[in-house]
Amino acid sequence: MSSVVFAPEVIVVAAAVVLLLIGRFAGLRRSLRRSLPPTVVALVLVALAVELWAGATLGSYLGGALLQDRFSLFAKAAVLVAAGIAIAVTDWSAEDSLTISLAMPLLAAFGVMVAASAGDLVALWAGLELAAAAGVVLLSVRRADLGLRLLIAGGIASALLLTGMAFVYATAGTADLQGLRHAALAVSPTLALAIPVVLLLAGLSARVTLAPFHIAGIPVSLGASPLGSGLILGLVAAAGLTVAIKVAAALGPVPDVFAPYLEWAAAAAMVGGGAAALAVRSPRARLAYLAAGQVGWVAAGLVTHFRAGLGGSLFLLGAFALAATCGPAVMGGMDGGEASLAGMGAQRPARAAGIAMAFLSLAGAPPLAGFFGEFAVGAALAQSRHFGLLGLGLLGAVMSLAAALATLRVIYIQSPLEEGRRGSGLPTLTRFSTAGAVALCIGIAGYGVFGSPILGLAYQGAEALGLR
Amino acid sequence: MKFVSLIASAIHAASPSPTPIAVAGAGIFTSSLLMSLMIWVPVLMAAAIATLPNPRGRFDTLMKQIAFFTNLGLVFVLFVAYNQFQNFLPNMQYEEKVPWLPAIGAVYHLGVDGPGMVMLVLSGLIGIVSVLASLGIRERVRSYFCLLLLTQACINGAIVARDMFVLVLFWGAAMIPIALLILGWGGPRREGAAWRLVGYWGLGLAALVVAVMTLYSATGGTSFDMDVLLKSTLSPRIQLAVGVAVIVAAATRLPLFPLHGWARDVYADAPVGVAVVVASTASRLGAFLLLRVLVGAEPVAAQLLSPLVAALAALTVAYAGLAVLRATDLRQAAAYLALVPGGLTVLGLAALAPLALAGSVLSLFSGGLAAALIVGVCATLSDRAQSRSLHVLGGLAPRMPKLAWLMVLSALALLGVPLMASFLAEFMTFFGTFKNQPVGGFAVAAGLAITAIALAILLHRVLFGSPNPDAPGVSDASLGETWYLALLAGALLWVGIFPSGPKVPGTDLPLFDPGLVNTMGAGLPDLAAPYTGPTQ
Repeated sequence: MSSVVFAPEVIVVAAAVVLLLIGRFAGLRRSLRRSLPPTVVALVLVALAVELWAGATLGSYLGGALLQDRFSLFAKAAVLVAAGIAIAVTDWSAEDSLTISLAMPLLAAFGVMVAASAGDLVALWAGLELAAAAGVVLLSVRRADLGLRLLIAGGIASALLLTGMAFVYATAGTADLQGLRHAALAVSPTLALAIPVVLLLAGLSARVTLAPFHIAGIPVSLGASPLGSGLILGLVAAAGLTVAIKVAAALGPVPDVFAPYLEWAAAAAMVGGGAAALAVRSPRARLAYLAAGQVGWVAAGLVTHFRAGLGGSLFLLGAFALAATCGPAVMGGMDGGEASLAGMGAQRPARAAGIAMAFLSLAGAPPLAGFFGEFAVGAALAQSRHFGLLGLGLLGAVMSLAAALATLRVIYIQSPLEEGRRGSGLPTLTRFSTAGAVALCIGIAGYGVFGSPILGLAYQGAEALGLR
Repeated sequence: MKFVSLIASAIHAASPSPTPIAVAGAGIFTSSLLMSLMIWVPVLMAAAIATLPNPRGRFDTLMKQIAFFTNLGLVFVLFVAYNQFQNFLPNMQYEEKVPWLPAIGAVYHLGVDGPGMVMLVLSGLIGIVSVLASLGIRERVRSYFCLLLLTQACINGAIVARDMFVLVLFWGAAMIPIALLILGWGGPRREGAAWRLVGYWGLGLAALVVAVMTLYSATGGTSFDMDVLLKSTLSPRIQLAVGVAVIVAAATRLPLFPLHGWARDVYADAPVGVAVVVASTASRLGAFLLLRVLVGAEPVAAQLLSPLVAALAALTVAYAGLAVLRATDLRQAAAYLALVPGGLTVLGLAALAPLALAGSVLSLFSGGLAAALIVGVCATLSDRAQSRSLHVLGGLAPRMPKLAWLMVLSALALLGVPLMASFLAEFMTFFGTFKNQPVGGFAVAAGLAITAIALAILLHRVLFGSPNPDAPGVSDASLGETWYLALLAGALLWVGIFPSGPKVPGTDLPLFDPGLVNTMGAGLPDLAAPYTGPTQ
């Protein structure tokens, strides 16, 4: 049974490697090109099924480096769903390389899975870097210059992260997360501990596009292909947030070393994300800022440093991963400004519904996935008496909602443009992508409606991290 | 004399008898999902409209019919619920309780008491009225009626919510379809109207969430159920914090001065069917929230904040009257007039006396209808007269007699003259108010006098003044327009004439309508219980 627990990871990695090999050494016939995305989605679904079936088995593997608990079950399932739907909704005519574009989300998902299962700081770092590297590769296929920029920014983030981790290890005397938590119970919140933790969190902030480090991720994501943008905004950020949740849980006994920084960063992200989303007109940029705002909500949940807060953050993380990864993908190549989406509601109803759902969910509009997650975080903030942060979050949510409505107006109310004036062609209409868009809508709408088991699992996940 | 006895019976009925009086036909149909039907049937039909193939608008008429018959069906369900509603029970009825997110204590809890049933009856009527008022929609018919049904569902959900999480969900969700409807089908200033609506209602939503979270935190963070949050005894400090947040939420929605900034543009530039919904049910939710949370659950804060609430009511009514005097646009004048009933409702809530509270609950219904009628009739009139300018419109009564009658009726309803439901509501409100909030009561009465003057000038100018020879051609209301406006006026007259419902001749048995005044009494004594002591 123990080997089955990691079958999802094996399936995902094997599929990615095979895809890369096919792309490098074998030509792709037309029929194969058409059947490859559905095949990959089928494999992801198999991995998800195995995860849900075998993932309930708890255990510790590779000498405690990897753990299988409710937290990893939740995060892995969420990221597999997000990756699967993102691949399904992608307009492959807007992607540069079929095999690389299929393989990189799988590798990024694998990175998140490693981070989710990580039992120590090294595995956390490895998972995050793997996800981030996949983002760099996919971005570089279209824009090598932006790929280099992301690589450098990521390198700085990684350096900050490693320095912070090294100092935390030096202070605690262990890299094991459980050990770190036990050690944190015994230490007092000194400056010597606070500085490395801030470095660590600064590195993570750059990875998850949390303010004020969002400038590293958002502009470059706008130059990527649709799926690449979703990968950077969604999966890489999900990996970073997974790491952040685990680190916050491990350092939970000394919240004073990270909570004040996170509080400011979360507030800036929630308000700034909403304001920036309202200010920009490009749909993809608006989606990116909405995602940045929701990252702020996830971070706000970590400020509470107790079970309800981290459980709420994890619950919101699932909603975020789905909308932020699939949002740019479902928009396809419609990056020719706001007008490119005009009248899409009439011309591509399923895809338009998917875009609308992703925007509204990231804005926290009821009754979609993001609303339920943000409400759960809000409840935790209220319990921990962080009413100021809650108020700022609500301010950001109102601005985000207005921004999302502005895009919905273009999609559903403006008349369709002539093809010549649109700036970019409409996404290719295929049954598979339509089914993917429908699945995205069902996922976002059903996340909260059937949220009881999902939120219950998220809370169990937070409990698994040692929180009560 | 007849009116005096009528009022006496209405006031008597506001305190329900403990003896059940069976309504003919009661019990023939029962369902434990009545409240869910009120929410989810419109959602399902909206989904059906959204997915129905409609090549080149071939099935536009069918979509209008679907929306109409959905609302008609809802009214039938509501009629069943209304008839079987037990006026003598103080507790919630038609309750549905299913755990939703047990980890945070959110429950899918629906139910309705007397005031809730009054709001539901209003919502049912307005559902039909809004579809009838929207029959002239020609562009993007599918999207329009889909959004209209979603609006209806959200409003019904907010009315019947018995869990704060559910309330926040529907309260917030209602904003999205309404904003899109204004953006898509509104008048020349629709952009500003929609964004103002989003801004103000968003602020209100944030205030509501803060109030809910404060209650949640203060009660131990275990449940969002109103049975827990609103029945706990809280410290005066917490009650005040919650009270202020709830007043902000209600003031943005109702709206009350100075948080009324969205109202003029929305009422003046939203499509008629949407303006009617916003002026009636969507905005009455604000007063309903005040009644439910501030008055019903936070008695200390209600007592402390009642002068503030009365002042807001007085300012709103006076401001509205003065603004109508200065208005040069008919629809904007109607928008200001639509603020008046909200002020009166809130005045009754500020009084914290059982009679005034009963008046407030009745004015949720009558005020909602009166506001919808004035907004609807002025919008239709300006459409038919091809102008909104009060400098252009004049002497229209002979050329549009139906609309002229309806406009006069709407003015009478706003002012609360006898035979109108608003008369009873205002009578009870003022009688209950002058004892506890004399200054507020006199100020609102003065505001109402200004409104009466403004209305008289408006009616004289538009309907009975000298015709403008340079004005564009006019035509009277179409059949659909007459129907929707007549429904509103008819409902106001019906409740005004039969507040306790018609009786079987020679008996005291209700015929088919148990009477809105009887129905609203269920649960009202509970809400008024904290104020029956020293204030009486």
